[in-house]
Amino acid sequence: MGKIEWAMWANEQSLAAGLIYATGGIVGVAGQFRGWQFAAFGIAAGVFVCLLEYPRSKRRKGTSVERTGQYCFTVCVKAFGPLTRNYYVRAFLHAALCVPGGFMLATVLGCVCLGIASLIYLSAAIHGEHWEPILPRTEQPKSVGNSIKEPPQNPPPRPPPELRRKKVDKLETAVYDNPMSVTINE
Amino acid sequence: MSVALKSWRANEGPKHLITMVWIAANVFLFWKTFMVYFSEAQYYYLHKMLGLGLCISRASASVLNFNCSLVLLPMCRSLLTFLRGSQRLLNRRTVFHTCLTYAVIVLVHVSAHLVNMVSFSVRYSEDFPGLNVAQYRGQVTHTDTHMDIFFPGVTGVLLVLVLFLMFTASSYCIRVSSYEIFWYTHNLFIVFYVILMVHVAGGALKYQSNVETHPPGCVQNNLSSWTNHRAAGEKGTESSGAPQTVCQEEARFQPHFPQTWLWVSAPLCLYCAERFYRFIRSSAAPVTIVSVISHPCSVVELRMLKSGFKPHPGQYILLNCPSVSSFENHPFTLTTVSPFVLVWKCVFLPTCNISNLTVCCAFSSHPRVHVDGPFGSPSEEVFNYEVSLCVAGGIGVTPFACVLQALFDDWRQYKLKRLYFVWVCRDLQSFYWFADLLCGLHERLWRDNRPDYLNVQLYLSNTQGLQSISEERYRFLSSRLRIGRPKWKLIFQEIGRANQLKRVGVFCCGPKGISKALHTLCNSNPHTETAFEYNKESFS
Repeated sequence: MGKIEWAMWANEQSLAAGLIYATGGIVGVAGQFRGWQFAAFGIAAGVFVCLLEYPRSKRRKGTSVERTGQYCFTVCVKAFGPLTRNYYVRAFLHAALCVPGGFMLATVLGCVCLGIASLIYLSAAIHGEHWEPILPRTEQPKSVGNSIKEPPQNPPPRPPPELRRKKVDKLETAVYDNPMSVTINE
Repeated sequence: MSVALKSWRANEGPKHLITMVWIAANVFLFWKTFMVYFSEAQYYYLHKMLGLGLCISRASASVLNFNCSLVLLPMCRSLLTFLRGSQRLLNRRTVFHTCLTYAVIVLVHVSAHLVNMVSFSVRYSEDFPGLNVAQYRGQVTHTDTHMDIFFPGVTGVLLVLVLFLMFTASSYCIRVSSYEIFWYTHNLFIVFYVILMVHVAGGALKYQSNVETHPPGCVQNNLSSWTNHRAAGEKGTESSGAPQTVCQEEARFQPHFPQTWLWVSAPLCLYCAERFYRFIRSSAAPVTIVSVISHPCSVVELRMLKSGFKPHPGQYILLNCPSVSSFENHPFTLTTVSPFVLVWKCVFLPTCNISNLTVCCAFSSHPRVHVDGPFGSPSEEVFNYEVSLCVAGGIGVTPFACVLQALFDDWRQYKLKRLYFVWVCRDLQSFYWFADLLCGLHERLWRDNRPDYLNVQLYLSNTQGLQSISEERYRFLSSRLRIGRPKWKLIFQEIGRANQLKRVGVFCCGPKGISKALHTLCNSNPHTETAFEYNKESFS
């Protein structure tokens, strides 16, 4: 099957689960269900999970696509070091956060979704994945080498004269120069 | 300015029109269902019990019914191929936004039903026991049992879970990095539809079936005087002069006929019929692999034969290789129609697997493959314009290679009078994939005295080092090779000036940056009398 990156799927799931958890919590608190305290916890846990999961991890191979505006979240999440890098910690954290949701009807969905996300994170951790921050690449200033001070001694090599002469009997092979540049790089 | 408007109308008009019609249909359905539950007589008692939660949940349910039935239709590829011209309307972005709205409506529906659960329990009605869903007053708020024997609730939770799995696995990143997760979770849609059919069969919400004999709000003979006074009091404040009607019989309640079955069954049957037809068609005639050729830059060419297979230039097929994976189908464009040829680049994991398998088995027996198709794509429209501009990025040249091959075979039969072909690549070696085809077509057109038919421009976006095509037989290409990325505005100006008062079809198959730039230019090209119509090739 090839190397599947489970953590990427778990990340999408936990973000969606956080939203569902928070929405269920809002409904529970607004409707004053029995056990609305669990719903209030659900809102807090949902928001926390969303903030934790918003910055995407860098892929092992290939280009990583950032979410919009994720840089500040990346910096915050990176600051916790091994706690956020390790996916075992995340799996257990999500499992712990989802348990109180199971005690109340409105947050049951959020609980189940977060539980599934936690299982996928466990699978990712077993496969040895970890979270890597996506940081902007610092552009190396193009340093001009010392050879700029030494101009070339010889003219550039040219092809032999018989190839240089334009063959006017074959019109289609006569090369022409554009009077203005037609490419962006010139 | 008016010319840009003409282009804009041709490019964006149909798409925006479809979006507006879709939004209008959704709003109409929501409003109509909301008003039915808010004010109709047969829901009077239910509405009094549940309040706004009833109206919102049922209105969102009808919107969900509509979208569940609609979502299957774009997946009927054979049907869409048959109704050609519909590809321009079904944009990837439209589908994405539909799904997002769908998710929001699901949240609204679920929240409203949660409120209904509480209302059923708090406003348990002793007067109309047939209407209740809760077993006793206060079931939800006072105990820990959450009415989980309540059937639509359980199926509803399962539905949201399946939708959650499908939705989270279908983002662009997951599709690009781990296609298998996307494919296998998306096939859970069968489970989704089965549970959906069962979800509505619970019969929790009931309507009153004998409204004529028991008008809502009427006074009952055998009811307690307190209730009578309360009803009388309510009626009194509303219309003091109206006489109190006496109920002739008890209110009777009946659950609905599940409306979802009506909405969903037709598209589901259509979709199942189409899958069955495609399965029969793909397994009826076997596919013989004639040859496998490796090209530079990890590109593989596969030549195949299948009896009774008649594709048109520009169409694509779905390839299934059971040795790699029994269920996965991947789209590939055809580069020639007989024998049909596929060319692809090993970028995507599944394509690499197929590449490795076919190349390794080149000397022994080839692996078995199944071909599903052909399906239509926008590139078929190239021949329907008098002037076309085809822009290819890297391996995106494959649909246009088929077009060029068709022109090589017989260019006279088509409406097309002039073709502008722009090919942007990162490596010089990439141009060798179809160098022979391009030079051959050019020779043919020169001999047939149509030198202005084909205009080729090749761009090499990698500007490092000295690069040129040095072979003698590709002199035609080396003179048209430019280093650097193209300036699209200049190209459009040139085409516009040379083809005034004409409709130019613009076709792009390549990276998003190029297609976005072209799309913007098509809509805002004010300098000439030409209208540019944009057609985008779209599969991931």
